[in-house]
Amino acid sequence: MTATDESQPASAAPRPRQASWNIRAVAPAMLVVLSLVLIGVGEFLAPGFATAENILQLLKLASYMGLVAIGQTVVMLTGGIDLSIAWVLTGSAVVFTALCQGQDANMPLAAAAAISVGLVVGAINGLGVVKLRISPIVMTLAMNNIMLGATLIYTGGTPSGAPSPGIRALATGNWGPVPAMVVVWALIAAATIVAIRYTRGGRMLLGVGENPRVSYLTGIRNDWVVIAAYVICGVSASVTGILFAAFSGSSFLGMGDQFVLPTVAAVVLGGTSMFGGRGGYGGTAAAVVFTTFLTTVLVMGNISQGVRNIVFGVAVLAAILAQRLMTRRDDRLEGG
Amino acid sequence: MRSRLQLGDNWPVLVFIALLAVLIVLKGRFTGFDARSLTVNALPLALIAMGQFLVVLTRGVDLSLGPIASVAGAVMALTVTDHPLLGGLAPIAIGLAAGLINGLFVARLSMPPIIVTLATMSVWQGVALIVLPDPGGAVPAEWGAAVSGGFSSPTMGIVGQLVVIIAGTWLLSSRFGLHLRAIGGDEAAAKMSGVRAVNVKLVAYVLAGGLAGLGGMYLSISTASGSPTVGDGFILSSIAAVVIGGVPLSGGRGTALGVAMGALILTITGSLLYFADVSSFYQSVIDGAILLAVVGSAGARDWLRSIAAVRA
Repeated sequence: MTATDESQPASAAPRPRQASWNIRAVAPAMLVVLSLVLIGVGEFLAPGFATAENILQLLKLASYMGLVAIGQTVVMLTGGIDLSIAWVLTGSAVVFTALCQGQDANMPLAAAAAISVGLVVGAINGLGVVKLRISPIVMTLAMNNIMLGATLIYTGGTPSGAPSPGIRALATGNWGPVPAMVVVWALIAAATIVAIRYTRGGRMLLGVGENPRVSYLTGIRNDWVVIAAYVICGVSASVTGILFAAFSGSSFLGMGDQFVLPTVAAVVLGGTSMFGGRGGYGGTAAAVVFTTFLTTVLVMGNISQGVRNIVFGVAVLAAILAQRLMTRRDDRLEGG
Repeated sequence: MRSRLQLGDNWPVLVFIALLAVLIVLKGRFTGFDARSLTVNALPLALIAMGQFLVVLTRGVDLSLGPIASVAGAVMALTVTDHPLLGGLAPIAIGLAAGLINGLFVARLSMPPIIVTLATMSVWQGVALIVLPDPGGAVPAEWGAAVSGGFSSPTMGIVGQLVVIIAGTWLLSSRFGLHLRAIGGDEAAAKMSGVRAVNVKLVAYVLAGGLAGLGGMYLSISTASGSPTVGDGFILSSIAAVVIGGVPLSGGRGTALGVAMGALILTITGSLLYFADVSSFYQSVIDGAILLAVVGSAGARDWLRSIAAVRA
């Protein structure tokens, strides 16, 4: 594979972007094909799996992961990572149910308070990474720990309250034949894909991740772009926390833990580079659908949690291996 | 400059001594039992953090060390009663092999360490659950007595800590250690001066895996049983111990003594909170805050300076 790579002239001039084209197109397409294969496997294991109704229910399950993954995609496009989403999500959900107390009248205030949790933590993460030059992994792991403790202190160990009927209708109900969450996710996903690829903000995000120096010289204020990325991530974790609490009927400690690694994996599986600057939300969304189907099929096939963990890890390794093989050599060297 | 550098290298020792002094004042006494609990409880973290240190020196990070320790400890707890030799060697072999897998992906295939070790972390968590679905197994009491000593004698704990510090310091001052630091400092320059960077990195991951295996063994010995999730807590704390021990994640610098102190500092904060009568809920907040204060202080100083410069 390197024979053709090296025929490209090496030069100091700005690189053409063709290399990212094939991975960006191939990864989501591959995941869609694999998802269809999994539907076939599911139908084989349990006839009736491949009905529209069942698929829509699975997509509803995937929508929560999909919403958190928006933030993770944006952060990873800057070359960062956010491991604090676990307890930002839990903390927001806990604040939401405690203030909401099952009353629709309390909902706007409760939602605003919950979202401000993600907003503040995201801003702190961003400032720490940009201004204090703390590596994203340490910064967000430390914030995750702090949010864990803060949540324990706030709840005294036992979350209280409940989501209101209005938000429960959104999280569990249907609009016509389609679960409301699937519609919400589809709309937000479409908006995110367009925003990353075609808006000024999205291009700034890609620019900062691709080459911070060039982006800075172009007049982009890199610092604020990165801080904004972490804020978006915090808010997306908060919103998901609210909706997931509504879906579950209550908030509980540790409810966010299950989202951390799968979102990072989904971003990578979806073809977004770990080094930032290339990729988008389309691939991530496809990967979220794929991993949800995969988990469901493995559960249906009576595969134990241990084997599921292994399959998951191997899938991520295979994906980055494929990503590496498809990325041009000079891209990699510069990315490191 | 030289004297500042030396203070910079040794401040984790001062922090530890200060925290120890606070603990002694709070408790009003410090017996052999206290010294034993502290040194013995900190040892698994010290071992795993020492592995993390080797990887961090190359500008890497290893999220799989905790789960590797889980697998090693589980295998030990299952086999050591019937086959002492196998039970003693298999965990280390498993650790080295797991480290080799990480090393092949990161060093040979030059793939990002965070993602590689995130994936292998999931794999080893799965393996641990398959090997030992529920906490169980057993380690004969002689092993515990041999490794951590009697209940009130701190000797074995202190010896263990010293062995880790001395071995780590020796490794770092060896040719391999020099190459390790050179890669973290400037990989391109290191390569040009003849360092075989790929192999050195590979060995760093292999040794890290082996140390995680040892840490897992030690956990099983000191609890006399195995648990499939015992290592999960070390995923963060091994990185935290390294960073609190004065090692920058940008690689190339740091001492084994600092890392061992990082492990002791993280262990002692738990007892401090207990004796200061602070709810254990605050533990993770304080751990996180200490971590941020340590890694953020240099950046904060520069940031404040730059703000002051703009104002002036």
